[in-house]
Amino acid sequence: MKTKWIILAVIGAFVLIVLVAVIGGYNSLVGKSQAVDSQWAQVQNVYQRRADLIPNLVSTVAGAANFEKSTLVEVTDARASVGRVTIDASHAPEDAAKLEEFQKSQGQLGSALSRLLVVSEQYPQLRATANFQTLQAQLEGTENRISVERGRFNDTVRVYDISIHQFPAALFAGMFGFRDKPYFTAIPQAQTAPTVNFPAFNK
Amino acid sequence: MPMRSFICLLLLLLALPARARGGTEVIPPTPSPHYIIDEAHVLSAATVQSIDGQLQQVERDTSNQIVVAIYPKMESNDDIAAYGVRVFQAWHIGQKAKNNGVVLLVFIQDRKMNITTGYGLEGALPDATAQQIIENELKPHFKNNDYDGGIQAGVNAILAATRGEYKGSGQTWLDYRSTIIPGLVVLLFVLLFVASMVRGIYGTTYASNGRVPSWVIPFILLSSMTSSGRGGGGFGGGGGGTGGGFSGGGGSTGGGGASGSW
Repeated sequence: MKTKWIILAVIGAFVLIVLVAVIGGYNSLVGKSQAVDSQWAQVQNVYQRRADLIPNLVSTVAGAANFEKSTLVEVTDARASVGRVTIDASHAPEDAAKLEEFQKSQGQLGSALSRLLVVSEQYPQLRATANFQTLQAQLEGTENRISVERGRFNDTVRVYDISIHQFPAALFAGMFGFRDKPYFTAIPQAQTAPTVNFPAFNK
Repeated sequence: MPMRSFICLLLLLLALPARARGGTEVIPPTPSPHYIIDEAHVLSAATVQSIDGQLQQVERDTSNQIVVAIYPKMESNDDIAAYGVRVFQAWHIGQKAKNNGVVLLVFIQDRKMNITTGYGLEGALPDATAQQIIENELKPHFKNNDYDGGIQAGVNAILAATRGEYKGSGQTWLDYRSTIIPGLVVLLFVLLFVASMVRGIYGTTYASNGRVPSWVIPFILLSSMTSSGRGGGGFGGGGGGTGGGFSGGGGSTGGGGASGSW
């Protein structure tokens, strides 16, 4: 009779320990997942900041005498295709393909913009205007912010991804719907985009 | 004391991976308590001293932390803007919760410079203004090898842009720390004195009740105080957490600012 109670007590204690571990692990995963989402919002912010600069940039550049139209069209097209990629701004994408699509459209916009700035070197009068210089500084700063926030996003995703594969969270993470979240990857286009540093401008 | 040295060791170990990250990259140690460091020796001693005093006064008046750092070479293969962000973070520039810091980095041999702005000063010193300061204030002087004039003009322009954004407390973070620590020591003695009086009266009854001995109380009080004050950390203490740097917080930047070369 007495041994039965002891066994029950041991089982009870074991269940309690497991329960506490699961609750603790669950809460920590929720926190980490939340951190990824808030960092994602930050990433969206800086991309939006870039997108918001474009109308002003385009109108400034278009004002320059016979500015090469094709590069302008490229930028406005890329800007439009970025707008077509619908992505939830408050939750980090779970789907790697979705993130890739987002990244690809933003990468196209980035390279269209850097081409525009390269072409603008042939228009010294345009480059001399205060408006253009301001826009260029803003654009450069925004590209820096994008790479900073993307880096931080990858860091928070890494923390989250590691923790869902760690014991004991790995045992129940899938059960509660915690899945791997995708990273930003350095695609060739994206790598060329952030370097909006122009030797000609610095001469 | 052994506990303390253990904690120091732990902090040191935590700081190591941060240093090793990025392969060849080296983040120089914080210049704190100075606001300007000239490792490339391009400035006159008088300029260094006057700018240091000027920037210290600026922190007292406005609470903004503006730091100028000049090195011969950038010890990194990365983009200067990305490097600037990491330096800014490692040095914890800007005050806690305000993040009101600016760092001006200059690399003489690379002929490159960068202004990195903390989140709190992005409004006062937007990228375009930072770019103008580089183009119009720093670059023309640097091209003539007039580093004294360039740095002074750049600092003046940064100060003009950032003035009025925050109100200062009349003290720098280090002023604050150097008043609070002796204050705590005095407090400890007062508490010890009071406790010994109390112990003289009630000591034996507490002890016989098995309660906490009265002489422990000031230590408990003090430890709770210093742990809240510890956010400040010692400068040069080590990279991570709230360790080294200019203040108990700060260091948050989204990569605002501008870069240029001459």
